[in-house]
Parts: sequence; structure tokens; C-alpha cells
Amino acid sequence: MIKNPSHPKKGQIKTRQCKFTKAGLEYIDYKDTELLQRFMNDQGKILPRRVTGTSAKYQRQLSRAIKRARFLGMVPYVADNLR
Amino acid sequence: MSRNYYELTYILNPVLDDEKHEEIIEKYTELIRDNGGEVDEVDEWGNRSFEYEMDDKSSGYYVNAYFTAPGELIEKLERALRISDHVMRYLTLKYDAKMMRHRDLQRKNAVPTVFVDEEDEESEEDED
Repeated sequence: MIKNPSHPKKGQIKTRQCKFTKAGLEYIDYKDTELLQRFMNDQGKILPRRVTGTSAKYQRQLSRAIKRARFLGMVPYVADNLR
Repeated sequence: MSRNYYELTYILNPVLDDEKHEEIIEKYTELIRDNGGEVDEVDEWGNRSFEYEMDDKSSGYYVNAYFTAPGELIEKLERALRISDHVMRYLTLKYDAKMMRHRDLQRKNAVPTVFVDEEDEESEEDED
């Protein structure tokens, strides 16, 4: 579909790239909460790969980092956005 | 005896005063040294509020330390941390090759940033 130049959705489909691979980051630090929070929704859930385009390798690292940060209270388990 | 590089983060009870904090941190740093460890860096982040309530408290005193030590030390250290009433949480990580490289970059202040391009601004607009 993407290879076909006359496909009507051509140009609308965004090809995503893994941000970590692109940046050349090797290890995702649990202390970098600002970064982690960009891969979570406002409820505090980890965003799926299909949304962020992260590669499987980095998604595993990312979820590990988020879970470590959660344990230490740096990132929420659940955030109630009704404040 | 294998020696590894470790990172330790622990959260102290925020109710205590600064002197007591110093004393406790010194105690654990000494414990690492006494058991054949070499302390690389001890970084106090100070009082930080939690994202959720932990033991009926909404903030804690964070301490982050890096050290090289034999594996046997970790058992002793974690036992001491577990027993202590002042330590709310602790997390020890053993560094592997990848993490070591990341640490070297951190020292040089050369950690690659993940969000730098125009996509960055785009997603920020989305958040608003």
C-alpha cells in the first residue's frame, strides 16, 4: 500500500521511526522522568508500540525503566486526572 | 570475587531533619566502604514529592549513589536497608556493558537527546 504511488492514502500515512534508535541512545534511564512521561498517557499508562513507533528492543527497555520509576514514586501508577 | 558497578537509589523518611539525613547517608556510605566497596558518587536529590502516596507520605528524601563493590556486599547492604525504619524504598541496579557506556556519556554530559527535531514541537502542540 505504501509502495504504490497512486494509492489514495499516500501522503497521509505517517511512517514512524523508533526515537531511541534514531537518537542512538543505548540505555533508557529510569531517572529521566521527563522522557518516560512522553511515552505515557495522562492516566499514567505506557503507550503501545503501535502509537509511538518504538522498536521492540527499546519498548522492553522503556517499560522496565517506567516500572522502576513507578516503584520509586517518580512516575504515577495511576493518575486521576479529575483534580 | 567479582566486582561490579552498582547504582543504588533509596528514599529516606522526609520527616527527619537534615542532620539525621546526613547521618544515615554517611552510615550507608561507610557500610559500602567497610565491605570492600569503592564509592564513586553520592548524589542527594533532596526532598521530592511522590506521584502517589507511599506509606501515608506524599514526599521523600531521595539519595542516589554509584559504587564499585563485590557482589557479597549487596546482600548485606540490602538487608541493612530493609531493616531500617528510615528507609522507605531502595533500588539497586547492577550495571552491564550498555549501562556503563551510558554512564560514561552521562559523565561527559553527552547523552543523546531523544526529542530534538521538529517532531518535538509538533507533539508538544498536541499535548496542549
